[in-house]
Parts: sequence; structure tokens; C-alpha cells
Amino acid sequence: MSKLILCLLVAAFAWGQDARQIVEEVQRRSRSGSEHYEGSLEVVNARGKITAKRWLYDRIGSHGNSKAVLRFTAPPEVKGVALLIVNHPDRASDQWMWTPALERDRRIALQDRRTRFFGTDFSFEDLEERDVGQYDYSLLGEEMAGGAACWKIESRPKQSKSSQYDRSILWVRKDRYVFWRIENYLKDRLVRRATYGDLQEVQSIWTARTVEMADLRENSRTILKLEKLEYNVPMKDEGFTLQALRRESR
Amino acid sequence: MILLRLLSWPYLRKHVLRWSLTVAGIVMGVGLLVAMHSANQAVLASFGTTVGRIAGAAELQISAGDFGFDEEVLERVQAAPEVRVAVPVVEAVADTGIKGQGNLLILGVDMTGDRSLRDYDLESGDQAIIDDPLVFLAQPDSLMVAKEFAERNHLEIDSRIPLQTAHGTKYFTIRGIMRSGGLGKAFGGNLAVMDVYAAQKVFGRGRRFDRIDVGVKEGVPVEQCRAALARALGPGFDIAPPSASREHFEAMLSAYSMSMNVSSMFALIIGMFIIYNSFAIAVTQRRPEIGILRALGATRAQVRMLFLGEAAVAGTIGSLLGIGAGALMARGIAMYVGGFTSQIYGVKQALDEVAIDPRIIVAGLLLGIATSLLAAWIPARSAARVDPVQALQKGKYQVLSAGEGSLRRRAAALAAILSAVCLWLGRSNLVFYAGYALAVLTALLLAPMVALWVTRMIRPALRWLRPVEGALAADSLIQSPRRTSATVSALMLSIAMVVGFGGVSASIYLSVTEWIEKTLNPDLYVEASEWLASYSWTLPGTAGADIERVEGVEQAQMVRSARTLYHGVPVMVVAIEVAKLAQKVHSRPIAGDSREMYKLTAAGQGAMISDSFAGLRGVGLGDTLELGTPSGMLRLPVVGIRRDFSDQQGTVLIDRSVYQRWWKDDRTNIIRVYLKPGADPAVVKARILERFAGQRVFVLFNKEVRQYILRVTDQWFAMTYTQAGIAILIAVLGIVNTLTVSITDRRRELGVLQAVGGLRRQIRHTVWIEAVTIGLVGVVLGLAFGALNLYYTLEMTRRTFAGIALDYTYPGPLAGLLALLVLGAALVASLGPAEQAVRGSLVEALEYE
Amino acid sequence: MIELAGVSKVFDGKRKVVALENLDLVIGRGEMVAIVGPSGSGKSTLLNLIGGLDRPSQGEIRIDGSALGGLSDDELTRLRRDKIGFVFQFFNLLPTLSCLENVALPLHLRGWPRKKIDERARALLDLVQLGNRLDHTPEELSGGERQRVAIARALSIYPPILLADEPTGNLDTRTGAEILKLVHDVHDRLGATVLIVTHDATVAHSCPRTLTLCDGHIAGDERR
Repeated sequence: MSKLILCLLVAAFAWGQDARQIVEEVQRRSRSGSEHYEGSLEVVNARGKITAKRWLYDRIGSHGNSKAVLRFTAPPEVKGVALLIVNHPDRASDQWMWTPALERDRRIALQDRRTRFFGTDFSFEDLEERDVGQYDYSLLGEEMAGGAACWKIESRPKQSKSSQYDRSILWVRKDRYVFWRIENYLKDRLVRRATYGDLQEVQSIWTARTVEMADLRENSRTILKLEKLEYNVPMKDEGFTLQALRRESR
Repeated sequence: MILLRLLSWPYLRKHVLRWSLTVAGIVMGVGLLVAMHSANQAVLASFGTTVGRIAGAAELQISAGDFGFDEEVLERVQAAPEVRVAVPVVEAVADTGIKGQGNLLILGVDMTGDRSLRDYDLESGDQAIIDDPLVFLAQPDSLMVAKEFAERNHLEIDSRIPLQTAHGTKYFTIRGIMRSGGLGKAFGGNLAVMDVYAAQKVFGRGRRFDRIDVGVKEGVPVEQCRAALARALGPGFDIAPPSASREHFEAMLSAYSMSMNVSSMFALIIGMFIIYNSFAIAVTQRRPEIGILRALGATRAQVRMLFLGEAAVAGTIGSLLGIGAGALMARGIAMYVGGFTSQIYGVKQALDEVAIDPRIIVAGLLLGIATSLLAAWIPARSAARVDPVQALQKGKYQVLSAGEGSLRRRAAALAAILSAVCLWLGRSNLVFYAGYALAVLTALLLAPMVALWVTRMIRPALRWLRPVEGALAADSLIQSPRRTSATVSALMLSIAMVVGFGGVSASIYLSVTEWIEKTLNPDLYVEASEWLASYSWTLPGTAGADIERVEGVEQAQMVRSARTLYHGVPVMVVAIEVAKLAQKVHSRPIAGDSREMYKLTAAGQGAMISDSFAGLRGVGLGDTLELGTPSGMLRLPVVGIRRDFSDQQGTVLIDRSVYQRWWKDDRTNIIRVYLKPGADPAVVKARILERFAGQRVFVLFNKEVRQYILRVTDQWFAMTYTQAGIAILIAVLGIVNTLTVSITDRRRELGVLQAVGGLRRQIRHTVWIEAVTIGLVGVVLGLAFGALNLYYTLEMTRRTFAGIALDYTYPGPLAGLLALLVLGAALVASLGPAEQAVRGSLVEALEYE
Repeated sequence: MIELAGVSKVFDGKRKVVALENLDLVIGRGEMVAIVGPSGSGKSTLLNLIGGLDRPSQGEIRIDGSALGGLSDDELTRLRRDKIGFVFQFFNLLPTLSCLENVALPLHLRGWPRKKIDERARALLDLVQLGNRLDHTPEELSGGERQRVAIARALSIYPPILLADEPTGNLDTRTGAEILKLVHDVHDRLGATVLIVTHDATVAHSCPRTLTLCDGHIAGDERR
């Protein structure tokens, strides 16, 4: 009797270790010193109306230590609006927005990260890079999804992360160690679902070139296409500061 | 009940006019009460709902008076673990420049987080636009307006409207329309939402917020969150639920509320006199009827009940009509009050609908009935005492019994002594108001006797003027004091009331003009707002130096003034360049050494307070003043007390350097500009405007500012005029009533007069003279009692809100004007009755009994 | 002096009351006429019509040749105050005025100078033997005294016509007799035309002419 319980506990521990290792492997394989792409977004709202936006994305560093700048290029009325994200390995990221017409930055408060990122179905938080260390994982099982074998892993944020979600379920493709889908839950309700498609190998990093984020409360979805994707482009750290945002808007 | 139907109804039908007048007395009293109360409530409520609607789901609001505070406070608030959400707010009232639309309340919020506090509830059609807050934020001209406002002005998405900003008139684009209800209904629908950072820029706030709205984390008690924030932020911030601002607003309205309460009180007492008058007359006239009733076996109690029943019916009808009339008047009064609160106090509020509280309806009804029962009590009692035998004899004239007179005198003497004692002791408010009430009582008790003396004194003059008509008129009054005493009393009270308020107005006017003369001596005022009372528009701290560089300017003194809380009460803090001020203003302080106090204040080692602040807050010279600032508690000794009417709640004057240090703000909202000798103000004004082109700058001449300040006193004058109106109405009502009765009573006498050759003209004259005499007696008594009432009103003013001892100045011109008006009104009131007197059959008149 | 031709007076109340019907009457200058008749026979109405206090429903009344019908209210009043003195049963003195003021009242109404009024009023009160009670108010006087004041008032303008409605009706017999004597005295001295409405047979008998009214008709016109 007691042996059986011990066995199960060990098994669970082993499974847990497994889940973490899987996600760590995902993170390791996607690691790159910097990233640049041109994002094209299509937001399809509940009534099927489509709005299009474009942004430029630059990232330096990776995961817990990355910094990213996201700069809107279209439509013309939002051109120049930029978002600076500074990720931290041990706590939630800092985010600032720059509005060129006002010539000023504003801090996106932690409390506001749950809100939609300017009319897309991403929340501010969804734009951060997840660092593996900020979550606890458990393997739920394996299943075929999106035409490939996947691990199904549950992640729960640690206290320090202060995430808007209570838990997420991740599908990781066994073949490429990339996410196929992430479902985010609030209590037991599924609120957002990201699906990664158009898998391509870019500079030997398997990358999903389209991300479809669905907001199940609003019944709308956003399709982000990563165009002109490049990894390890030379970038300078100084480009990822508020001063740089200010400078570049001029 | 049967008696009421059998006896009262026919009498009522026969004297419709008089009963209408009686009822009118109650209508007026109850109407004023209902109207003023409802108006007050409506103004408070609309302020409350505007605050409530704007606050949305915010449980706490953080502010630092009207000064605002630095942006960095927001992060400190957001860092508190008890806070679920904290949203910065910039609020401003801006002129739309659209005709007839007036002002728009602009709510600057941070759209990223704000929707968890406020539900904008957008028109569904605009979903896409608002779903894209990026456009809203990226374009600083974005505006979201309430549906009502949009419909009134035929605005649609992408319509553009002009707004007065810190940089002149700018056009804004509507990028969202809020559905009506909730936020969209606040400020009467004249509401617009803007990005908070855009608002900072547009309204010249620098990097400051006016307020932070806080939603408390689930499961955390609001009070715990408040305490945590108070600890985190220090004493300079007011952290309170949104409802607290209503209390502050109420405090600001206290002066108005007080005068309103006093007026409705007076109105009711006056109404009571009119009722008393009518009933006293009715009892006299119906003596034979009462005699018959008694002879037929009616008990005294039945007779008394008959009259009280009539009073109850009259009271009910009058109250109901009064409630109706009050409801009609309430809106007008509310609009007036709402208007001056936003203009004088700079309060952001717009009137919604004026609802009549069911409680005030019930109170009005009860009060109306109670008043008329009370007023009818004595007449009913004397009716019950009617002796059947005497009553049935013809031609008996009733005279004021000697016993009653002496009783009155004794009661009056007692009341007078008690009132004097109260005055002498009068520290506490209760004793003071008791003394006031006793003084009124004394006056009322003495009024009939004094009225008689005055009439007797006037008689020879009247007789000399018009031997027959004059003497007859005077005699008519002397002979039946009952008939006139109530009217005279009512007149006396109302005139005394007008004199009281008028005197206060005059005193305030005098004090204010004197203060203006001594301290408001700059040649020009440069301001960020066209209203002095608006503290939310500011200019940068460099503006002073900029102005001093303008040709013709000798000196510019930068002022930053705004309300902040002192021990929970909003007071005005004026930060000024004291060293410069001391060179230009030489008013004698009320307490403290003139040179020393300016020196200490300029050095940041003290503060000067206004005498009203000293009086209201019980602060004296040498006391330490504690002011909460964003940097902590500022403690300064009071080094001087001066007269300052900038604000009714009192002002605290500190040096600009102290303000800059403690509030971390170097902006200014008023700049006092002194010109070089010989410089033309108009020319310099033009130069200043030129230098500040493209900015929201107003340059006012000294004269304009004076006129503006004097408008503060206008609210008192308006009150006085309203009351003068009431006094005149009472004069008309009371006199018509009295004359109608007098003419009925004297029908035979007037018949005789005509029979022996009196022309109609002469009869008319008699009636006219009678009316004017009543008016005159009322005026004499009223002006005399007014002298005492003025004393009480001044004292009341000092106690409740002014905090300063105003000089006693009898409003002579007002008294003269009032006398003329009342006499004129009396004459007009007599025209109808006079016509009635000469009409009708002579034969019947001669046989009339 | 006084002419009535076809005079009728109908009171329009809820019920029509015919007080006088088609009356013709001529009273000469200086006559002294008693009008008698039962209650409701129209005596007082007749007196009121002649005195211009009331207007006839039909017919015409002439005083000194001028027809009353064509006069306005004020003209009627002028005629009254120049030509007619009234004495009422209930005296109708103004209670607030002194004897002197009561008597002076009609003269004041005519706008006479004060001094002349004073002289005349005093003289008249002397005439009615009340010269010692000038400043008393009516309330302080006995019934007879009040009526004497009333007569003095009626005479204050030396009217050519004196109308008295039951002048003794409210007085005891002895006082009544005194008043009657006074009226006769006035008639004799001033030569005024006097009409007395009365119930009192003594009063009627003392007059040279007696008109008897019955149901609005002249039932008898007796001269002695």
C-alpha cells in the first residue's frame, strides 16, 4: 500500500520534472540574441469586421533578460506609437508606451496588463516573453494536435509573476519543441487561446510565422503574421530605452 | 363635519376672495419652503450624482485640494498591495464655444486601465473605433462625448468641436459616443472623456494629476486600503470615498443654505399671520352666527372644532397648492444656485432634474396644516368664548380688551428681558438662536400696541391732509386693531427680514470694497482662466519673468491659489511672492505686526491668515497652522491676521517659495501686474497677449477684477431682492385682505358717507389712505425692528460662515426704497377694495349690519 | 319741488318684489309730509328714491325741476349733498368721530374752509342743544342725543329738503317727542321741505300732510 503511494509520488515528481524540462527545451531552442520582424495584424471582431495594423518588432536578449520595442507603422493615425517592454527574470516586466503626438511616454501599470493591447486580442501581458522560471509545470499527457504529436502541459504562474491568468495549458510539438497552442484560463474559464501556425525554420530556429490569438469572451481573434523575420541581427542595448523611443519618434 | 358643511361652506362661498388670500398665505409659506429646500437638494444631488457618476466604481479618491500632485504619486498608489486598480484623472471644465452649450466637463483618464473603473458603455456602432484605443491615444485630439451632448449638437463620430485649451481654441475629434446613463449622464450630459496625458497638455497641467481614482482589491476593506494609502502617501493627500466631496460642497453652500432656511422660516411665520388675520376677522364677522349656534345648543368645543376644522381644510388646500407652486419655483431657484456655485465657487456641477423629495412634500403638508391650526388657535378659542346674548345684539363693536393688552405687555417685557439675557450670555449657538427667537416674539407681542400708537400719532397728520378721508381712515385702523395688527405684524417681520439681509449685504459690500481698495491694486491681472474662481487652469512658472520683460511692466507677482483641506474643511491657500506683495500692499493687519508678518512670511517662516479663517477655524496669532502637502505636513506659525475676502471659507497666505518646496509645483494661476508710471494698461495688455500668443491667457484690468469680486456680494443682494419681493407680496396680500374686511365691516359707514354727500372719489381716497397707513405703520415697525434684526443677522452671518465681525451699517437707501415700494404696493393693493367700496347698493349698505 | 311721475321700483331678487308701482306724487316747496303705512308698503323705498340713494325701475323723479334719471352717480351725490339732508332710524353716526366731526362731515365733503365748518357745526349743535358735548363720541351719548346729532348733521348744509326715516323709531316716547319738536322747529325756521317716514301716529298727526302707502300704491293723501 505504502509502496504504491510512494511509487505514484515519484512518478508525479518525474512527470513534473519532465514538463519543466520540456518547456526549458522549448526556450533553449528558440533562444536567439536578438530578433526583428515586421508584424502584420488582422483583428476580426465578433461581427466579422476586420481591422489591419502593422508593427515593427525588435528584441534584444532573450527570455528573462530580454528587452523589446514594438513600433506601429500602420494605419497612419497610429504610426509612431511604440511600446517598450523590459522583461525581468524574477518579476513582471516593465512596460512603457510612447505616443509621438503627445511627445510623451506613459507607464503601463501592472494592473493594466490584463487589458487588451490596443484593440488586438493580445493583452499587454501576452506580449511579454514567458520565462520558464516564473511558472510551475505539470505534464497532463500526450495527444495528437494540429497534425503532430504534442505534450500537453499545465503551467501555473508563481506568485512573483502576478499574471492575469490562473493557469495555462500548453501544447508542445514533440518533433520541433515549439508551441502549437496555449490556452489561458481564468479560474476554470478559457479566456484566450493562442494557436501557432506556419512553422518554418528561420536561421535554424523553428518559428511559427503566424499566431492566431482568440479572445473567447469577446468572440474576436487577431492574426499576427511575422514577416521579414530575422534572428541575431546586430542591435544596441541603448536602442531599448525611453530616451531612444523619444529620439526615434522625431 | 356637518357643521363645517352647513356653516363654513356658505361663508366661504361668500368670501371667496378672502379665503383665496388666506390660502395664498399658506401657499407662499409652504411653496417657499418646498421650493428652496428642493432647489438646495437638487443642487446638492446633481453635484452628488455628477461626482458619483464620474467616480464610477472607484471606492476611494486621492486628491490634494485643487492643487493636484505630481505624476509619480500614481506609482506609489499602484504599488500598494491593497489597491486593485488606480487610475489618474485630470478634470477640467472647458468652454465649447458652441452657442447655448456652455461648458463641457472634460474627464482625462488613462484609457488603458480606466475601463475597469468606469463603464463607458459606448454606442454599439462605434465599437470598432473604441475597440481601437490606440487611435484614441495616438491622436491627442480624441474626445469621447456623451450621447445627449452629441445629439443636442448633431455630432457624429469624426465630427470636430472647438474647445478652449491652455493654448487657445483647439479642435477636437469625436472618436466615441457614450450611451446615455451612467457616466454619460454626469454633468447633465455635458461630459467628454479624453486621454489623461492629452488632458495634461491641453489644460496646462504639466506632469501633474488632479486626482487618482482607486478600486480596492477584492476582499480588502475600503478603510484598510485608505489607511494603507494614507501611510504610504503622507498627510498631504485627501483620501476619501467619492461621497466625501459632497460634504465639502455642502460646506461651501452653507451660507446660502442658512439664508434660505431663515427666509423660509420667516415666510412661514408670515403665512401664519395672514391666516391668523383671516380667522380673527372671520370670528368677528360671524359672531352673530356663533351666537345663534351657541343659543341652539352648540358646545364651546364644537364651535372651536368648527374653526379649527376650517383651518385644517384651508391648511391642506394651501399646502397642496404650495407644494405645487414650490415644485414650479424650485427649478428656477436651483438653476440660479447652480449657476452661482459654478461661477463663484468654481464647482464643477450641472443641474439634472429637480426632484421633489416625498419627505419634503409630507413635511410641507404637515407644516402647512400645523401652521394654519396654530394660527387659527386663538381665533377659534375666542370664537368658543363668544357670549350668545352679546353676540346677537346688533351694532356692537369689538375692541381689544384691556386685559389682553396688559397680558401682552407683560409677556413682551418678559420675552425682551430673556432675549437680552440670552444676548448677554450668548456664547453657544443654541442660546443665541433662542435669544433671536425671543426677540422676534417680543416684537410680535408689541406690534399691535406699537401699531396703535403709531396710527394715533399719524392721525392728526392724516386729518390735516384730508380732514374727512384721513380721519376716517385712521379711525378705522385705531378702532379695530385686530383687523390690522396681523397684517402690520407680517409686514413688520418681512421688512425687518429685508433690512437684516440688506444690511448684511451692505456691510459685506462696504468691507469688500474697502478690501478691494487696499489690496487689489495691481493694474492688470494675467490669468489662465477667464473666471477667477477656476483654479484648475495654470500658467508655467516662467510666466512672471516673461511678463516682467514686457515693456511698461514694473513688477509681476505670481500667485498660485487653490482650495485644499484644512482639518477636513476646504480652505483657500494663496501662495504669492510675499516680498513683492509687501512693497505694493499696505493694508493694516487685524492682528500682528505689519512689517514683521510680511518679513516672516516671505522668509517661509510663517503664514498669514484671513480674519474669516481665524474666526471660523478658531485659529489665533502665534498658533501653528498644519497644512497637509504632497511632501508631508507643513507646519507654520500664524504671524499675522489680515482681511481677505478671496474666499468665504477663509484664506491662508504663504510665500511662493514655500509652495514650490512643499507642493513641488511652480505653476501659477494669477499674476498681479504693476505697471510703470505712465504706462497705458490697454497697451500693456495688448503686449502681454502678444507675448503669450497661442496660450490660454486672459488679461483683466483692475476694474474688471473688482467687478468680478463684487459679484460674490451679489448673491446676498439677490437674496435681499427676493425677500424684498416677498415683503411686497405680503404687503399686497395682507393689505388686500385687511381692506376687504375693513370695507365689509364698514359698509354702512361708507354708505352713510355717501348718503350725506361723499363722492365716490372721496370714498376711494378713504380706502387708499387706510391702505397706505397700514403700509406706513408696517414700514415704521419693520424698519425699527429691522435695526435689531440686522444685528442678529450680522451675528448669525459671523457665526455660520463669514467668520468676521462685519460692521453694523443700517441700509438706509434700501430702507427708503423698501418704504416707497411697500407704500406703493399698499396703494395698488387698495385699488380693488376701493372699487368694491363704491360699488353696490347704497340702500343695502345703509341697512347692512 | 319734488315730482314723481309713474315711478315704479321692482327688486330683482330670487323673487320679484314690487315695492312701488306707478306712483305719481307732487310735493311742494316747504311742505312737511308724513309717510305712513304698514311694513313693506314701500315707505322707505320711496324716501330712498327721492333722496337719490336708489334709482327707480321706471318713471321719473324731479327735484327742483332736474330729473334724477339723467344724472351720474357722482352728480346724484352732488345733488344729495347740496339739497338733501338725511335722518336715519339708527342714526348712522360714525362711531369713531366726535359729535362735532360727525356734524362737520358733510361740510368737509364739500371742501368748505375749516373755520367756516367749525362755526357752522358749533351753531348747529347749539341749535340741537348739544353745544356742551362737542367732543363726545356717539357711544357716550343717549339715543335722543345721538338723533339730535344726526339731525344736526342732516342740517349742516341747510338743505332745502330733509328726509327722515323713522327718526323716532328707536327712541322712547318722551325723547321722540323732543326730536319731533326739533324737526318741526327746523321746518319752521329754515323753511325746508320735510318728509318723515313713520309708524308713529303722533308724528304723522303733527304733519300738515300725510301720505298713506299700501302695497306700493298711494292709498291716501290727506291734508289737514
